[in-house]
Amino acid sequence: MKATIETGQELRDMFGAAARWLEKSASEVDAINVFPVPDGDTGTNMLFTMRSTMEEAFRAPDHSTAQVMKAMAHGALMGARGNSGVILSQVFRGLARKLGDKDGIGPKEWAEALGEASRTAYQGLSRPVEGTILTVMRDAAEAAIAAAEKEGVTLTEVMEVAVEAAKRSVARTPLLLPVLKEAGVVDAGGQGLYIILDGVLHYMRGEAEELQYRRPQLVAAAEPMPPKVAPLAAVKEEPYGYCTEFIITGEKLDADRIRKRLDRKGQSLVVVGNESAVRVHIHTLDPGAILHWAVSLGTLHQLKIQNMDDQHVDFIEMQKERLPTLDIGIVAVAAGQGITELLQSLGVSAIVPGGQTMNPSVRDILQAVETVPSDKVIILPNNKNIILTASQVQNLTSKKVAVVPTKTIPQGVAALLAFNYEGNLEENTRAMEAAVKSVQTIEVTKAVRSTRFDGLRIKRGQYIAIVDDEALIANDDEIEPLLLRALEKTVCKNVEVITLYYGADTRASQAEEMVQQIRLKYPQAQVELVRGGQPHYNYIISLEG
Amino acid sequence: MVKIVTDTLSDLPASLIKEFGISVVPLNLHFGTEVYRDTVDITTDVFYQKLMSKQVFPTTSAPGPGIFVELYNQLAKETDAIVAIMTSRKISAVGESAMQAKNMVKLDARIEVIDTQQVAGALMLVVITAAEAAKAGATFEQVVSLVKDTIPRTHVRMAFDTLEYLRRGGRIGKAQALLGSLLKVHPVLGLKDGEAFPHHRARNRAGAVDFLVNFARGFAKIEKMVVEDATTPQEADDLVERLAAFYPKERIYRAKVSPVFGAHVGPHVLDVAIIEGKKEAGDIPVPAAQKAKGLSPSPAIL
Repeated sequence: MKATIETGQELRDMFGAAARWLEKSASEVDAINVFPVPDGDTGTNMLFTMRSTMEEAFRAPDHSTAQVMKAMAHGALMGARGNSGVILSQVFRGLARKLGDKDGIGPKEWAEALGEASRTAYQGLSRPVEGTILTVMRDAAEAAIAAAEKEGVTLTEVMEVAVEAAKRSVARTPLLLPVLKEAGVVDAGGQGLYIILDGVLHYMRGEAEELQYRRPQLVAAAEPMPPKVAPLAAVKEEPYGYCTEFIITGEKLDADRIRKRLDRKGQSLVVVGNESAVRVHIHTLDPGAILHWAVSLGTLHQLKIQNMDDQHVDFIEMQKERLPTLDIGIVAVAAGQGITELLQSLGVSAIVPGGQTMNPSVRDILQAVETVPSDKVIILPNNKNIILTASQVQNLTSKKVAVVPTKTIPQGVAALLAFNYEGNLEENTRAMEAAVKSVQTIEVTKAVRSTRFDGLRIKRGQYIAIVDDEALIANDDEIEPLLLRALEKTVCKNVEVITLYYGADTRASQAEEMVQQIRLKYPQAQVELVRGGQPHYNYIISLEG
Repeated sequence: MVKIVTDTLSDLPASLIKEFGISVVPLNLHFGTEVYRDTVDITTDVFYQKLMSKQVFPTTSAPGPGIFVELYNQLAKETDAIVAIMTSRKISAVGESAMQAKNMVKLDARIEVIDTQQVAGALMLVVITAAEAAKAGATFEQVVSLVKDTIPRTHVRMAFDTLEYLRRGGRIGKAQALLGSLLKVHPVLGLKDGEAFPHHRARNRAGAVDFLVNFARGFAKIEKMVVEDATTPQEADDLVERLAAFYPKERIYRAKVSPVFGAHVGPHVLDVAIIEGKKEAGDIPVPAAQKAKGLSPSPAIL
């Protein structure tokens, strides 16, 4: 347990331990990198930045904490790579600002230095984005400052609080930055910073030796998120341009002015440094113009220009390798936001919007099949009138396609639940077809015209209940009695799960009341309510047993 | 006699550890700053009570090589052959420590460290198989090749109420495909290449247990079988009764997941592990000595 840090050597050992800790997980941090550009290099860039920081740490003029800290800040600035690397270099710059004139670091100094690191990190950016490494640094710093207020608190205790706050902050990043939530990941830069801080903490606890036998635990999102893989592969977006990085050395450089000047020239702009050296990082479509201007300010060093679209392609390839088993992709036809989300959460890779009265075309389904990153695809039409359309797709693609003839959404859900991740296409098709038989569907809708059907006289505008998309079993002016009567005619003893999907036109409160009534009537069954949001049907009910 | 080493993720009941003289190295369980040695300082029941009553989420860690160095040195006083049968490296670094320790000691005894790519009940069955052979007088080479032959025939399926614990512990592997389901499902996972994979989603607990029964029934020949629970012994006993329809009940081992394993799977895990029998009876590598004595594994009572 460290009470204070007295020497520069301790400081080197401490951040050296943090760098080695990061090294163990750099590739995993790369893999979750989606912001600002999904090019999969955040972990590597942060690691290179740390290495440069550590190399410089050994070039300090003496072994005081002050000189070593300053040397590290210089090393970080000169060696920074990528967005997160540059921001990390700002973190070291901030630390050096507070610690660069102190010999020995106690809990108070450390907390203040973390606070300065956070402020400096924000200053380097013209448009700071929350839900990134910045937020994680700030949350850690704020927690440390609050902890340092306490009488008699030790350095290690302050750091424990800071690391815990960083961890929670990383877990929350998807809530702040939608692009992370969509990709089903936490922020990569934040994750990397957490690992570095955690490595520092392990050193303070005197566990540096043990680190070689352990690996950092990556922080998972605060809320579970299904990995949504299909959009990643399917969406072709605007070009990302060139990631352009360089250092300008000269005299009387003004980082703020340079930042202002470059503000509209590209994205992800970071400008940091001092009067004699400024590091620039920008994503731009025209790196030439920027270099042309920059060379007028001083001499340029460490120029690095990378085509990010190439990097992105590599990243997608890397993601494909890391995907959860997507040997077989599943395409489903569905309508309604709730039902769409539900099907995706059960493993559907692409949804074709459609259903009753809005049948998709062969082309629509074919397109979805082609976007799925898999050579084998199962299609769930989820409607009687779409089965034939879906089966046309088989002849139009080089992929191996199977259609499981589901006629309703509950049948589609039952099929999905029967999906075996280890099975091949034939086994899965068979298992899914069998599962379809284990479920009964009741659909409740309004009659569009007066008619006689299956011996029932139906008035226009009345509610009707249809079983398995075939037999009309009840009609009524009121929806509740209709639903209960429909259940009486269909629920038998072995029904174990009753699921109600309520439609776009049905109020949640009404649906909840309905569920209460059903629970009372069928206490042996597990009754679930799902906001389906489907058009046309007020309720779709699934009976599993 | 060949000495068998394993880790606490093997969930071996105390009676078997004693009967076979197996050395079991504990992993560590952390509740904030409190550290417990798995099964040594904390039992599964106490662990789950703590889990329910404490706000802080437990974490786990593998021991360093030091403890293995000591253990090897000590065992080398009584044997010239040590076989360490360890949890999948994709799940824990404990096997890495066992391996590093092997390279750190200079002993006359031969040491083999085997990554079984298994954990919990599945690992337990492999360890028992090796321990039986060692007790019956098998040589170092025989024990090692028996273990390697047994691993691919060992299968496990675990029924979960939630994958939340696996997710938080970062051990979810390919089973992450089952996360975030908007319907209530009871996932059943298996182990493949040393990590969890999703096998089935049942709509309720009964369906998940049915799946376990059908999974076990699918094997033409069963050499060994274990049923494990965390906090639901009655449910596990009921499962044993159902499995007894096709496999002798007295040969079914009963075990409880260790606290460290429990921290990653949650309080409602229920699993069945099986060593599948070989096709031809003549190939079953049970040492002749044991056959002659007619030893049958004694079921563990917990």
